[in-house]
Order: sequence, then C-alpha cells, then structure tokens
Amino acid sequence: MTTPLLSVRDLIVEFQTGEGIVRAVNNVSFDIPHGKTIGIVGESGSGKSVTSLAVMGLLQKPAAVVPQGEILFNGVDLLKCNETKMRELRGNQVSMIFQEPMTSLNPVFKVGEQIAEALRIHKNLSSKEAWEKAVHLMNQVGIPNPAVSAHKFPHEMSGGQKQRVMIAMAISCEPKLLIADEPTTALDVTIQKQVLELLHKLQQEYRMSMMFITHDLGVIGDIADDVVVMYRSNVVEKNNAKHIFTTANHPYTKGLLACRPKLGANPRRLLTVSDFMTEEGKEKVVPVERVQIFDKETVPDKNDHILLEVSNLVTQFPIKGGFFGGTVDHFKAVNDVSFKIKKGKTLGLVGESGCGKTTLGRSILRLVEPSAGKIIYDGKDITHVKHEELRLLRKKMQIIFQDPYSSLNPRMTIADILIEPLNIHNEGGTKAQRYDMAKALIEKVGLKANQMNRYPHEFSGGQRQRICIARALMLRPEFVICDESVSALDVSIQAQVLNLLLDLQEEFGLTYVFISHDLSVVNFIADEVGVMYAGKIIEMDKASSIYKNAKEEYTRTLLSAIPKGETKQPLASLV
Amino acid sequence: MKTNSLWKDAFIRLAKDKLALFSLVIVLIYFFIAILSSLGLIASDWSQEVGASNLAPSMEHFFGTDIFGRSVFLKVIRGTQVAMSVGVAASIIAIPIGVLLGALAGYFGGWIDDFVTWLYTTFSSVPNIMLLISITLILGKGIFAVYIALGATSWVTLCRLIRGEVMKHKEREYVQAAGAIGGGHFRKLFRHILPNVSHIIIINTSMQFQIAIKSEVILSYLGLGVQGEPSWGTMIDDAKLELVRGVWWQLAGATVAMFFILLAFNILSDALRDALDPKLKGK
Amino acid sequence: MTKYIIRRLLYMIPVLLGVSLIIFVLFNVVSGDPTAVLLGKNATARQMADLREQLGLNKSLFLQYLDIVKSAFTFDFGYSWATKQEISQMIKQGAYPSLCLSIPAFVISTVLSLLISVFVAYYRGKGIDLFVRVFCIAGMSISALAYILFFQWFFAYKLGWFEISGFEEGFPNFISYIALPAVIWIVLSIGPDVRFFRTVILDEIYQDYVRTARSKGLPEIKILLHHVLRNAMIPIITYVVIQIPSLILGALLLENFFSIPGLGGITLNALNSSDFPVMKAMAILSSVGYIIFGLISDILYTVADPRIKFK
Repeated sequence: MTTPLLSVRDLIVEFQTGEGIVRAVNNVSFDIPHGKTIGIVGESGSGKSVTSLAVMGLLQKPAAVVPQGEILFNGVDLLKCNETKMRELRGNQVSMIFQEPMTSLNPVFKVGEQIAEALRIHKNLSSKEAWEKAVHLMNQVGIPNPAVSAHKFPHEMSGGQKQRVMIAMAISCEPKLLIADEPTTALDVTIQKQVLELLHKLQQEYRMSMMFITHDLGVIGDIADDVVVMYRSNVVEKNNAKHIFTTANHPYTKGLLACRPKLGANPRRLLTVSDFMTEEGKEKVVPVERVQIFDKETVPDKNDHILLEVSNLVTQFPIKGGFFGGTVDHFKAVNDVSFKIKKGKTLGLVGESGCGKTTLGRSILRLVEPSAGKIIYDGKDITHVKHEELRLLRKKMQIIFQDPYSSLNPRMTIADILIEPLNIHNEGGTKAQRYDMAKALIEKVGLKANQMNRYPHEFSGGQRQRICIARALMLRPEFVICDESVSALDVSIQAQVLNLLLDLQEEFGLTYVFISHDLSVVNFIADEVGVMYAGKIIEMDKASSIYKNAKEEYTRTLLSAIPKGETKQPLASLV
Repeated sequence: MKTNSLWKDAFIRLAKDKLALFSLVIVLIYFFIAILSSLGLIASDWSQEVGASNLAPSMEHFFGTDIFGRSVFLKVIRGTQVAMSVGVAASIIAIPIGVLLGALAGYFGGWIDDFVTWLYTTFSSVPNIMLLISITLILGKGIFAVYIALGATSWVTLCRLIRGEVMKHKEREYVQAAGAIGGGHFRKLFRHILPNVSHIIIINTSMQFQIAIKSEVILSYLGLGVQGEPSWGTMIDDAKLELVRGVWWQLAGATVAMFFILLAFNILSDALRDALDPKLKGK
Repeated sequence: MTKYIIRRLLYMIPVLLGVSLIIFVLFNVVSGDPTAVLLGKNATARQMADLREQLGLNKSLFLQYLDIVKSAFTFDFGYSWATKQEISQMIKQGAYPSLCLSIPAFVISTVLSLLISVFVAYYRGKGIDLFVRVFCIAGMSISALAYILFFQWFFAYKLGWFEISGFEEGFPNFISYIALPAVIWIVLSIGPDVRFFRTVILDEIYQDYVRTARSKGLPEIKILLHHVLRNAMIPIITYVVIQIPSLILGALLLENFFSIPGLGGITLNALNSSDFPVMKAMAILSSVGYIIFGLISDILYTVADPRIKFK
C-alpha cells in the first residue's frame, strides 16, 4: 500500500473558552489516499469543521490549541510547519471551499480578480495571464459567459454561481488536496446537485484528493470513496462508502442513515438516533414495529370537512423606483394560487428559495396582506377581516417559524413566552391555571417543566423548536402552518421534531400546511403535496403518487436532485 | 445548569472585566460626591477664604488656593456637582425623546419615519457646537440653558440608533410570532422589541454622558455655563491668566477631576458595548 | 446613480428649510426683542422702534423666516450689529486664516491616524496594540482646553519655540503661527480617530472573506492592506468626509486661544457681543457645509461600495 496523501494521526484540538477548556476534536485519525474522496460526516459541533481548519492551519490562535497529534501531508507534519511554509501550501497544494458562498467572497473585488489572486502569488503569473487563466477556470466550473462574468462583483451573482467561483478559486493552482466544508448546504437542492457533480468531475480531472465535509450522509453517497463518521468530537466509524450504506457498524451511523425520510416508503414515525443508541452510546435493539413501512393511504378519511380553501390568491410587493421613490411595478410573490385542505390533513408545499412559499403561508394567516383572491377558513371568508375578528382568528390559526434562534423573544422566559398568548386572549383562567396549562404542554413537547423559568438562549435548536411548537399550540388552534420548521435542525433532531408534529396532529386533530424546500421531508409528513415555482403551484397530487409519476418537468428535476445516498437494501436489514 | 436572563449574563460578563468594574466604581464615587455636594453636606463653604491668595498645593490645601484664597479642592468638588448634573439632565431630556421618536419611526415607517428622519437630519446638520452656543446664548447664560442645549443635541444619536435597531427587530420572527398569537402594535413594540433594543439606551447614555461633561466645561469656559458657582470650565478660564504667573493648580485640579470621570466613562462605554452588544462596535 | 444624486440634492431643500427654522425659532422668536440690549438702558421707546425698523424686525415672522431661508441660498447675511461690516465680507476675510490652520492639521491627523490604526491592527492583541489603545483613551479623557492651555504655555511661552498668538497672511509667514495650534489639533484628533479606524478594521478582520484570503495563502500584511482595508475604507471615508465642514468653522477654541482672526474667532466675538446676525450667518454657513459634505460622503459611499446600486 502506498502512503496516503494526507494522514491525520491521533489529533486533539482544544479551545480555551471562558468556561474552561473544551475538546473539539478527540484522538481523530484517518487517511486520505491519492486521488480519492473522503467524506467526513457529523452533526453540528461534532468537530468535523475544526478538523479541516486544523489541516489548513487556519485555527484561530491563541484560542485553539493542538496538544497532540500529527497531520502528515506528503510525509510532512503540517503542525510543525511555520507560517511561511503553510502559506506556500495553502491555496497551492491544499485549498478549501467554505459553506457560505454569500460571505466567503470579498464584496468589493471583482470575482475574476479574486480567482486570479492565488495564481499570481503561487504561480508567478502576470496580472494579464492570471486574469486569462481565471476566465478559463470560470468556464471550466460552468459559469456562463466567463469573460463578462469575471468583471462582476460577488453580489451580482447567485448563490450557486458564487460557490462555483469559490471552486474555481480553490482549484486554480491545481491542488493535491481539496477540502470542501459543507459546500452545498446553503444551496437549493437542484443547485446542490449541479455543484456536487462539478466537484466530482473536477476531482477526477485533476486527480485531486478531496475531503468532503457534510452533515448529510445522503450527499456523500454519490461522491465519496470512504466515509468517516464523527460524533461528539470522536471518530465512531471509518469505512468504505458502500459498506457504510449497507452494513454500518456503529449504532450512531445506523441512526443517521435511518432518520432521514426516504422519498418512497417510510415507517409511521421516523427512526431516530436514540432508537439505535442509548444516551451513553450503547447499542439498542430497535423494535420490529418501529421499522414497518406505513402507507398513509390505508387510513380512511374520517371526515370530508374542508377547513381551508384558498382561491386565486395573489400577494404582491411594490417595487420602488422612479424619481421620487414611488412604486413603479409590483412583484407577485404569490401569483394566483388555489387549493383546499381537509380537516386533520397535511398539505405540503415544496419549492426552492424565492418561489413564494413563505409569503403564501404568511398571507393565509394575514401576517402579510394578500392583494387579491379569497381565503375561506371553516366556511368564512377571512380575506379582509379586521381588528377583533382577526384577533379571534389567531386563536384558531397558528404558525411555527423556520429559525428557532430568532423566533423566541430572547428577553422572556419560556413560561412568559407560553403564557403570553393566553394573556392576549384572556383565556385559561387564573394565573396559576395558565401556568399549569403551559406546564402540561411543555411536557407534551418533550421538555421538562422545571426548565420553564429559563431563557431561550439556554436551549439547543431542537429544544427551541419544541418551545415554538408549544407556543403555537397554547391557544388550542385547529390549523397550523409549519414554515420550514425543521430546516435549520440537524437530521437526527429533524426526525424527532417531525415525529412530534405527527403525534400532536393525531392527538389534537390538527390540520397542517407544511412548507419546506426538502421534498423527502414533505413527502413523509404530508398527505398532499403542492410544488411551487415562481409564485404558482404548478403541480399538486397525493404525496404517494407525486414522486412516482410527476407530470411537470420541474417536479421531476426536483426529485432527481435529491441525493440518492440511501441504502439499496430494504430498511429492515439495518436492524 | 443555572438560569440567567440576558441582562444577568451581560452583568456577569461585565463583572469579570476588572477594569470596567473599577470604572463603574469611579463613576459611582463621582455621583456620590455630586449628590453630597448638592445636598449641601460637603463643599457648601467653598466660597470661604481659607488661606492666602494663590497658595501652592500642600497637605493643608490639596489643590492649593485660588486668587481669593478659596480652596481649589472644594471648588473642584462643586464643579463635580455641576458636571454630573449636566450629564443627568441631558440624559433625562434626551432618552424619552430619542427612544420614543426612534421607536415610532422604526416601527411604523411611512410618513412618521419620513418626519423623524427629517427632524434628526435637520438637527444633526447644525454643528453641535453652534447649536450649543446659540441655545445657551438665547436662553440666557446659566446652568438651565446648558441643560436644555445638551438635551436638544444629544437625543439625535440615540434616536438614529434606536430607529435602526427597531427596524431590524421588526422583521425578526419573534415579533411576527407575537403578531401571529394576536398581539397588537403596542404589545409588539413595547413588550417585545423595546426590551431587545434597550441595551442601546444604556450604552449610548454612557457615551453621551462624557460628551455632556466635555460640553459643559467648554460652555462654562466660554462664560455661557453656570454663573456665580465654580465649574471645571470656569476654573480653566481662570487658569488661562494664572499660568504665566506659575499658578498651575487650578488647571491641574480641574483637569485631573475631569480626566478620571471621562476615563471611567470611556472604559465603561466600551465594556458595556462588549458585554451587551458586541455587534455595535464601530457605530 | 444620477437619479440618486438628484434626489439626494432635492432632499437638501427640506433639510435647509428645517435648519433655517431652528435658527429662526432661536434668534427671532425665543430671543425676544434685542433692541433693548443693543441700545443700552437709557434708550427711548422711539429709538428702539427706529432700530427695530432698521433691523427688519417689524416684518411679520413669516417674512423674517423667509429672510433666513433666502440667506441660506444667497449667502447674503446682512450687516453685523457689532462691527457694522458686511457679514459676507467678514466671512471671506476669516476663511483664509481658518483654512490655513484647519486643512494641514486635518490632512496630517487623518493620514497619521490611519497609519497608526493599520499598524496596531496588524499587531492586534499584542503589547503595542494595548499601549496605543490605552494611550488613545487616556488622551481622549483630557479636556481640549487643558491641552491648549498647557501646550501654549509650555511650548510657546516657556520654551519659546512658537509664536504665542497672532497671525500673518501669506506663505510661509503663517506657518510659525499655525504650527502649534495644528500640533494641538493633531494631538486632539488622533485619539478618537485611531479608536474608530481600529474598530472598523478589526470588524472586517473577522469576516469570512478574510478566511478565504488566508486559505489562498496570502501573507497577513497583504490581506490587511488589500482585502481588509479596502472594505474598511467604506465607513472610514464617510467618517472623514463628514468632518470636512467643521474645517470651515475652524477650530473655535484654538483660534480663540491663539488669536487667529478666522471664522472661529469671529463666531466667538459675535457670541460675546450678542451679535445675532453673525451668529446666524455662522450657523447657516456651517450647516450648509455640513449638508453638502453629507451629500458628498453619501455619494463616495456608493462609489466605494459596489454592493449599493441605484436605478
């Protein structure tokens, strides 16, 4: 066996924080052979990004300390290299692509210039040569009209194009190792697919080694040769990619694989990491009934009552311009949308960023004023109700937002947050009774009653989303809009919250509109799915049939873009 | 795990910063001196002759005596009262105006925002020093005019900052959530947004306080400030003629007294900003 | 872009009307009848009425307000009550000494502050950075009056290195008069300037794009001078340009201490003699300067930051 290009040996990285020393990477070892792609998978805080920054020599000193370990690159220990030597390597032999294309490019320089920069330092090219090479590279990464685009500033490009610029920059000096840190997480699913294919193609062409970091096992299946799974600063499993997807060893890996909803058949509730593993990391036996495939259509419709009917809804925003900043035109975020939802059912709305799905959700709740069309709730036209009537409507219709970090008032305790809806509507009896109601609900969503006097910042993202759910349910609504409510969460947490939403729906007979960019999530939770594009619902069908026989081209593109890194074996073989 | 509000967290962060804590103590001491002096408990006999004219500092007279044989030390204490009162009065005028206008403009937008923006643009278009000397001149020299002048100039920054911050928070999901549960404008603005931007009031007040002290000294030096009472500014004015005769202690006394309170407020402002809102740096 | 500038230019009108309103309310409404002060205690009612007529105070308040608005556009401010000179003439004479002092002092202090801030940003967290920060904060905590008084007494009176006061026109004669006040100006500005520039630069240093630049293998000094400084210049330009109108007014206190017959000196003389027309003129002049440079700073901002686009 030849020596690998990169060999990480017993690496430990610690951070000095106000509360003491935190170990972010614990005894991590792995190899990256020449010309191969290694996927590093783990949830937020698992230490995967810190490992990559250690390889690049970009750890924030003096906060970060490496007390032990070796990072051998072509036999040279990078941890022992001085800054000058590292600078010669960075961008030249080892280069990196970051997660956020929006902020990772310098906003005041032309993108061509930013690509050319590395070439000028490492390859001693003249400005003109470097620029020409940059244009050539932009062509290679698939940016249309590269000679013109090179003169653009980052803000003039879309997210996907910016990430392509980042890639062009990273491969400009033909590095031996390319580190990609969640390069597609911030992108729409169709763009993600293109970027993944591009990275794979370039890796083959340049015979690079690649270290691909992601939280999503699904993404890795298509491009990684080997997979390293990290959990709480440790490597829990290293294996060939095929083996990981078929015969995973570690319960955490099994949990990660199982908790992602599949496009096709799913169990009644998603499996979560805690089904496979105890809190202490011991393996658990998954009960057989948990993995049985569940077909929603076998459940008979209990009633045919239509709770919400939206017809020809239009929501437009003025485009300001003209001499005195007046309105010159309107942008139709929601353009002629119609649908019906039966009581107790879930309508999934899926679409990419900017398709108008969020505006649609807010228009239904009248948080944004619709411009035309009708919203009929429970037989009553609510399109133009005002003041008191609108306030009463809020008791019946609720919303759960996307970002669990900004949707809770940071200056209020959980108890205050939960009781506020009752105070506004003067419901729930005495103060003590209101408190008890909040307590009952907080336990229902899986938190402890003794946590109610804490503030939001003391909870994790998943816990906060549970609090948001509890707040939405305090007034006992019938109808809830979930606006990307699980998108910001790690996959394993996402599964738990999805299960919770289903449990609550069953218990309280809730009707959901579930908005998401993730078709597999929508497919799992919804009875009916509407695909949104440019403000319109272009296709609507039963969840079970839309992925089998989609009629619209766009729906098929969306479906094919979903990463296929799933097990080829039936789910039951996992257990 | 203990439970802490963001305020408490910020205070703990502040308490860890020894320098900031020390500055806070200095500020409190100055306030204490100012209160005692205004109650007539100390330095009420500042106008008494305690020794010969222009005595150099000694153990008996810390900062020496002035031309009339009065204790410079007592005059410095009286000046502390004047300086601190100006800071307090300016804050009392500026905070309600700045917060209310800024919050309404930021929250409601539209013509209210246009009007408030015009108002503070107009006020900030007249250079502060011109506005200060004009107002004190017109209202008649004296400490009351100084209060009004500083109040009229120091609401502008606060208003601008609050407006910007309210605009940002208005779009946050927690405010939308408050609307979704049926909360009205009043609740959204005063119960949800304002507590989340109120740290700006504290940081800004700490910064405006030192501006107020500096301005009072300059206005008093120009003869527009407090009349018939010692102030650091009038002491420096006296020193202008004394210095050539080697009498440096009035200047020194006023400068040293001013130095420590300004230093304390400077450090405190930075520490407050770091503890309460690290993002506000450089604004 | 042109549209933005025109819109921005038009916005100057309501602001100018507002500024005129403040000045009008202060000097024509709140101030009351100035004739008693001007003529002294023994003035007869007849004399006072004549003077009111002469000063245009018999006009309706609205017309008086219009006079102020008009002066903001024509720069015709009438005559001084104290010296009886034409005010626009006084301003012309005063501008020269003021600018002789303020322009060199401003340019030197800005450049120096910028150099120091880049230097300490490079050595951020190190001893020299801490030293400069302490020095800035301590320097800012000393009264401007104390600096002026001490420097004048020590360097000019004690050591005799500079002229104590006065002014002479023409290069290079004025240098010996403005040198000391200019030094004091620089000492006074460096503290706040360095503090602001340093914060702005350090804010940029922790941005993602700096990490990208490092991952390209750029040396730290190049990242600082090329990537960081170019972004930091956006707020710095605004900060610097907005200070330019205060140069017109000159350094009020400095001119006063060093008896430089500039605009600052004129303003303080007017203050001491309750010369309302001159005060009004200076307030309007400095406000107009402020508004114009505010506009320039906004335009430069859009030039410096490619993200801002105007249709």
